[in-house]
Amino acid sequence: MAARELALTALLLVGVSLVVFVILHLSPGDPFSVLLEGQGSGHAVSTSVREALGVPTTWYGRYLAWLGNMAHGNLGTSIRTGVPVASEIARAGPSTLYLTLGSLLVTLLLAVPVALYSTSRTAGALARALTLAVYLVSAVPVFWLGYVVIYLVIHRFGVFPLLSASAEPARHGWLYGLLPIVVLGVANGTVSEVTRHLRGEIGRVLTEDYIRTARAKGAPVWRHAFKEGFLLPMTEMIAAKIPFVIGGAIIVEQVFNWPGLGRMAWQAAQDRDFPVILGIALVAAAFVRLASLLRSVIYAGVNPRTATE
Amino acid sequence: MRRYREAAGEVAERPERSRWRAAALGDRAAVGYGLLVVGLVVISYVVGAAGWLPDDPSRMDMARLNAPPGAGHALGTDFLGRDILSRLIVGIQAYFLPGLLAVAISLALGAALGVTAGYRGGRAEALVTYLSNLVDAVPRLVLVLLVIAAFRADIYYVMLVVGITGAPAVASIIAGKIQFLRQKSFIEAAHVLGLPTRVIVLKHILWYNCAPLLIIQATLGMGEAILVETSLSYLGFGVQEPTPSWGNMVQAGANYFFHGKFWPSTAPALAILFTILGFHLLGDGLNNILESKSAS
Repeated sequence: MAARELALTALLLVGVSLVVFVILHLSPGDPFSVLLEGQGSGHAVSTSVREALGVPTTWYGRYLAWLGNMAHGNLGTSIRTGVPVASEIARAGPSTLYLTLGSLLVTLLLAVPVALYSTSRTAGALARALTLAVYLVSAVPVFWLGYVVIYLVIHRFGVFPLLSASAEPARHGWLYGLLPIVVLGVANGTVSEVTRHLRGEIGRVLTEDYIRTARAKGAPVWRHAFKEGFLLPMTEMIAAKIPFVIGGAIIVEQVFNWPGLGRMAWQAAQDRDFPVILGIALVAAAFVRLASLLRSVIYAGVNPRTATE
Repeated sequence: MRRYREAAGEVAERPERSRWRAAALGDRAAVGYGLLVVGLVVISYVVGAAGWLPDDPSRMDMARLNAPPGAGHALGTDFLGRDILSRLIVGIQAYFLPGLLAVAISLALGAALGVTAGYRGGRAEALVTYLSNLVDAVPRLVLVLLVIAAFRADIYYVMLVVGITGAPAVASIIAGKIQFLRQKSFIEAAHVLGLPTRVIVLKHILWYNCAPLLIIQATLGMGEAILVETSLSYLGFGVQEPTPSWGNMVQAGANYFFHGKFWPSTAPALAILFTILGFHLLGDGLNNILESKSAS
């Protein structure tokens, strides 16, 4: 199972790299013409520059060369800054990792209690109100919520200095890092879906025969329902929602001036800095697939039968 | 919907009407609110396209900058004294047609892939699964930024990406539904009667039995498209000033927001909130009413 999953992941990453490369190849003006901008043009010039630099002239030649470089951890250099993309990503990556994982946690902290409460027997009007609140929160534009939080915390209560990076870290400096996490966790738009899925699965599992048996013999229902009703849907939702959280991170990093991959991607899209955005797309895809691998492992751990399928 | 009943006994045990009547109050309220939002959006789009606006969206009222809602400007004015209500109405054009395009692509591509996976099975199914995983692996907004970097910040390119990235969800739902339907006797009967596969798939499967699913997915897809368009306009890649879009209106009001003039940023943000909420509630409400029983 594990080998098959790993092979699939590798195959998917190669597929992603191919798709991304083809998109960039189809674009009018490839990275080379960006590089040569304003330095005299013409087909002859670009061909001779390519040859002088040893760049293959066919697109698949370039793709294979690039894939070979990538296998050695070389993602190319940024056209704008001239810094290797891999080191740029290594520098900005941890901030984004912290942001996305932290906000996933916030999302779960919101969704899980609501889901659990609304499957309980005493659920009534309050559960409906909470469900509506969860829907409302999921529709809030994340950038606007960012403004509200920044206004309240910085301008109104003056808890933080306006620019945390330049100013001396103030008394609550560490708290500043929590703001974007909370904002993204609340308003990444996935809270309602996570709640809905979790509630549905818990509700389904609670009507299963083995839970009825557990109830009948007086065993703790929660312990029996935990794996199938809670652990699996949680894993499923985390794996499925990571791409959305990464997408939200691009916006939140912009709002909070957060020095992560999201801002890098935004800047790269502005500058048509192909190697950078390509590297970010691949890293993001690898991250998403890693989450899916983790899900497969947990599924196999809970239900060994899935491992042999 | 009446034809739904003729299709087969097992699928539609109960006539459609009782399904609506039996639905939980919450679901009916959700669908009602969603329909209200959709109606408002469509009417506002038509009104804006026809040019029947309360005010010229680009006329500056220098005497009233960042004004709160009041006489003369029902929803106040922005930082250049332009009428926010008119700009909100015109802003719908930024996502309306592009969003419909994205939804159409998602549904067509998703249905084709879903039918292939669900009806054919085997290698075709494995291929569809691979393609779906491929598309799902790259976060949508990253892919959109990539396409913007490669081509230009054109909303129709963006919506092409949104449409394609929305297809796997549609495909998996359709494939699941078909796997459920294949065991049904009416499909078998259609085969025995010698109906061509094309007719069985298009008419008996997609049209009679998947139409509600497709409508639900279209609703959710439109919500996604609006989210992407407003986010991109906010990030500066979408519609550019002075043309209004809900996203760039929020962005344009940002500086004034921090000086206590909340309204010019908040009005479009609320428009986004209540519109997306409407599409989500409509999709989920319809799903609860039309699909939850028939799937089990």
